[in-house]
Amino acid sequence: MSLNLPATAVFVALFLFVTWVGFIAARWRKADLNLLHEWGLGGRRFGTVVTWFLLGGDLYTAYTFIAVPALVFGAGAVGFFAVPYTIMIYPVLYLVFPRLWTIAHERGHVTAADYVRERFDSRYLALAVALTGIVATMPYIALQLVGMEVVIGALGFPAGGFVGHLPLIIAFVILAAFTYTSGLRAPALIAVVKDMLIFVTIFAAIVIIPAKLGGYGAIFASVPPEKLTLEPPSGASLGSYSAYITLALGSALALFLYPHSMTGILSASSGKVIRRNAAALSAYSFVLGLIALLGFMAIAAGVDKNPAHAAGFARYGANFAVPALLLDMFPSWFVGVAFAAIAIGALVPAAIMSIACANLFTRNLYKEFLRPHCTDAEEARMAKIVSLVVKVGSVLFIVAIPHSYAIHFQLLGGIWIIQLLPPILLGLFTQRFNAHALLLGWAGGTAIGTYMAATRGFTSSVYPFEIFGLTIPGYAALYSVFVNFLIAAALTPVLDRLTRPRGRA
Amino acid sequence: MAEKIKRRGIARYWPRFLLVIPFLLVVWVPFYNRIEPKLGGVPFFYWYQLSAILVGAAVALTVYWLELRVSRTTERAAPDLDSSGTPGDIL
Repeated sequence: MSLNLPATAVFVALFLFVTWVGFIAARWRKADLNLLHEWGLGGRRFGTVVTWFLLGGDLYTAYTFIAVPALVFGAGAVGFFAVPYTIMIYPVLYLVFPRLWTIAHERGHVTAADYVRERFDSRYLALAVALTGIVATMPYIALQLVGMEVVIGALGFPAGGFVGHLPLIIAFVILAAFTYTSGLRAPALIAVVKDMLIFVTIFAAIVIIPAKLGGYGAIFASVPPEKLTLEPPSGASLGSYSAYITLALGSALALFLYPHSMTGILSASSGKVIRRNAAALSAYSFVLGLIALLGFMAIAAGVDKNPAHAAGFARYGANFAVPALLLDMFPSWFVGVAFAAIAIGALVPAAIMSIACANLFTRNLYKEFLRPHCTDAEEARMAKIVSLVVKVGSVLFIVAIPHSYAIHFQLLGGIWIIQLLPPILLGLFTQRFNAHALLLGWAGGTAIGTYMAATRGFTSSVYPFEIFGLTIPGYAALYSVFVNFLIAAALTPVLDRLTRPRGRA
Repeated sequence: MAEKIKRRGIARYWPRFLLVIPFLLVVWVPFYNRIEPKLGGVPFFYWYQLSAILVGAAVALTVYWLELRVSRTTERAAPDLDSSGTPGDIL
């Protein structure tokens, strides 16, 4: 593969533009960036439109744009679970998070662990929340790099060795620099550019590609019929049906527990902004559904049979399907636009994730356990440094370790992060749970979820649960958080009696 | 007493029960795991779920509107926070 010059030129130009945007963001709604809530939450001043762009860029990441159609391309209908998943997240967002926002705003909480710390008066439960958040987010950042690497590879940069990783390293140095100086303002402003590019690309794709392939009817007709629908269950198993819907539900419940989603939500200027976005963010879900269909378009176009793409598929597997499709269907300069959209789509969530990890580390580890009396400026400086460390860590992850590990860890991350559901979600609606019981529930749920994934060799998160001779394959995260909840509920009365001699008023 | 508070809660938050609609639309997989009827060549499985996204958005919007105009939940929940008048609130 030789370097695609027009595409690369457009790609680099757009990348330089967002770099400039990232740095000037520091002066946007100017405030003292030596305060953690200014640097790490944009001063909690983002209105409906900015929050829409920010959360859109945050939740619908570059990796999603690559991996969801890749799954549809490879496995067919099951990849479409992303659609019910994104349908179910918005009722959850509407019901739960304005409440959390109000408490966090009143009490000055910057992270979910801050809130848990105060709600249950337990620094160790808060520590568990913070550590889970950081550990689950790290592989997620690494996956953004995978998304970026695929498009850089598709531009025709030489792959392999230090030179092969160089464009990625340069991109991340730039990302680290503007995150350090501008904080959350940088990804918020860049998200606006990114989403424009994504929307342009997708609308072009859903009009031009079907026109070239003979319409949607022809596209679906060329897909093998067994890929078009889920395989109906047979015998004593609920088969793909229960797997499909538990994957969607479990992912929906887990999404807003991720630190980066929390950061996006807490940076909104009011609960109203969050409620409006529970409706408006569906626009991205629709786009994601269309992007998923690119997987079928790639099948119809026969991209994997094109010898020009053989090297790409050998190197990146099904993840190469969308870049290959775009290369085949669009003029070079527009390929540059589309690839830039994906790469910038990696920068936005990566920046927010590293900021979220930095907030967690600084607030709930550094300040809580190491330097309780540190000044506000010290706190903000620490967070900025941690955001750099997190990024270096994820680059090393991608450069040094096979990609499959990042994917396995991310799969485990989903199982781990959902264990925060009882402390964060239930804490908002009831006072009844005991902090120690929640901590034990968290430990139990994490252990069982990890065990379930281990029995599948960490390659699948669908666990075949058996009861009364019926097999119910389902998302391990959902099963394990149920165990977590049962432990917390069962132990609460016992531990209340042991640990609270004063009794409850 | 507790009974009364609970009922007031339901009176205030009733529009939120509508949010169960998007869940109901997608929870029963056998209902939409089929090819026919097609829409413009697109199998039912795909166009149904894509339409469910639009219904979900419409429901969230309706609940927001109902709470704002009819039961006035949002204002009562946070009277001073939403009208803080911070510069840049509109965007």
